[in-house]
Amino acid sequence: MSVSMPQKRYYRQRAHSNPMADHTFEYPVCPEDMDWSQLYPEFFSDHQSTQKAAQVEFADIGCGYGGLLVELSPLFPKQLILGLEIRVKVSDYVQDRVRSLRAAETGSYQNIACLRSNAMKYLPNFFSKGQGLVYTNTDVEEVHLWMVKHFSEHLLFTRVPDAELVDDVIISRLGTCTEEGKKVQRNGGKNYLAVFRRVEDQN
Amino acid sequence: MPKDVWICIKLIQEPFVFDCSAAEQKPKDPEADNKSDGSEETGSDKILAFSVSSSAKLVALTDDTKRLVLFRCEPSWQVISTRWVVRRCTSLVFTEAEDEVWAADKSGDVYSFSVVEPQKTGELKLGHLSMLLSMTLTPNDKYVVTADRDEKIRVSHLRSPHNIQAFCLGHLEFVSSLLAPPGHPQWLLSGSGDGTMKLWEYESGRRLQSWDLKQLRDMPKSDTEKETRSAVSRIAGSPGGHHVAVQCERVPSVQLFGMEQGTEERLMPSSRLTLPHCPLDLTFDPQGRLWVLLDSRETPFLVYTHTQDSWQCDSESPEMKRVTEALQPHWEALQVSAGLESRFQHLYKGNFDNMASYREKKQQRLQQQKEQGGKKRGPGKGQQSNGASKKAKKGNQPGPVTKASS
Repeated sequence: MSVSMPQKRYYRQRAHSNPMADHTFEYPVCPEDMDWSQLYPEFFSDHQSTQKAAQVEFADIGCGYGGLLVELSPLFPKQLILGLEIRVKVSDYVQDRVRSLRAAETGSYQNIACLRSNAMKYLPNFFSKGQGLVYTNTDVEEVHLWMVKHFSEHLLFTRVPDAELVDDVIISRLGTCTEEGKKVQRNGGKNYLAVFRRVEDQN
Repeated sequence: MPKDVWICIKLIQEPFVFDCSAAEQKPKDPEADNKSDGSEETGSDKILAFSVSSSAKLVALTDDTKRLVLFRCEPSWQVISTRWVVRRCTSLVFTEAEDEVWAADKSGDVYSFSVVEPQKTGELKLGHLSMLLSMTLTPNDKYVVTADRDEKIRVSHLRSPHNIQAFCLGHLEFVSSLLAPPGHPQWLLSGSGDGTMKLWEYESGRRLQSWDLKQLRDMPKSDTEKETRSAVSRIAGSPGGHHVAVQCERVPSVQLFGMEQGTEERLMPSSRLTLPHCPLDLTFDPQGRLWVLLDSRETPFLVYTHTQDSWQCDSESPEMKRVTEALQPHWEALQVSAGLESRFQHLYKGNFDNMASYREKKQQRLQQQKEQGGKKRGPGKGQQSNGASKKAKKGNQPGPVTKASS
């Protein structure tokens, strides 16, 4: 059964959505209750039950139309990647897109999925505490400086110097594979990147 | 403008009465007079929260005018300072060390105010993305526990509050009360708009036990379940750590719990006290007696003592009589009946299904495209209305569900 690719023009929605408003979202009571098999059926099929349950290792907060998810999927085929998007139409687009891609190429794109949610409020419902890296990217310098300031001042994060990011496969794609990224390129804008690592509390 | 009065009764002293409407007014900001945006907001002098320190030597209260007033009680009652909070608060708590008083506000922020430097402005300590409804500290001031309208209980290190130790996740509605019960240093009790009380090992976020207070009242499940939702409005613990008392709003009874004897420490429902009226508040005194405050000018207090496995009401208690006599002259001014309005009913979230109307439109579009066959549609005809529909449709299953659907 072929699933045709969704057309973006039917899923347009303005960029800003108020995350403080009481939209209605579905979210698990706690991370242990989350049924990831709905989003990544291939990874949770029966023959895998004896193996360690797969976990989402990448989260794209505000994934938009899913450009980054699609780009990263073949690069990390054994790892689960989740896109979180608050907008109704846009999250639906990504879900349709993933369905269509999975149908077109058997076995591919099984490791990406999109959830409609408010990451600010409900991230702790989906994910337990973990270590890791935060990649930030923007074409607006003030936003970049704001993010750098807050992450640098936060005692649980430290900035990863550019020298350490030379071989990073994600960095090279952050500014190019998303809708916003392509728009910036067309307009000759600049991308501001900053990466931060979660560290232990010093106290 | 009705006055709101607050009474504190210490059993070895004369009663002390403090009237917020007569308290210090906020000094006018000369710049603010030039603003014509009319954003000057005036609150009432209604008291929103108060706290008594562990030694009972200090008291703090906060009101609708955004005052934070600090008192000493010994050697006599005296206002130490009047400070101002940025937003209306819902919860106040002193540190065990009595060096700070912490305030949680309606926007989700927590500030600490110095007691040692009583004029010092508050410092922002941590924030939630939702209105805070309750706050408590754990023994030795190790953690600060904050609970919000988004069903979340967050456990953070007091001295480095940016460091979240754990979340206690399990409630299905706003979390309205918290208690770190005396005698059980690892435990946290929480009460919610979902009508349950839960027991947690807060350091790990692990849920140990849960009780549906409605079921304990032997209420049969009815179709009008939504109308009879009753949030847990107070959880109190006896000083010895043997008893817990729970109050649900607009319910004329108190549910008691006791410690089960056994290899593992467990809390068990023990008895339920039927009251002549709905209680406004309850607490245990240092002798372990349970005091219940009622909306009744004649008998505002009921005092219960635990003797031989049951709770007996002591109607002759001299302390109760003293306290009643001190309270009665102020009964009208207190506007006690106002306290009977539900404090929590408006906190239940509305059910707006953002997806339903979008899905309907999408179905229509796909149906139309199917009917058109392979005919190409020009971009003009393909326009969809912009943005998610603002007109809400009542849906089902908003908020947390036990299994998420994609």
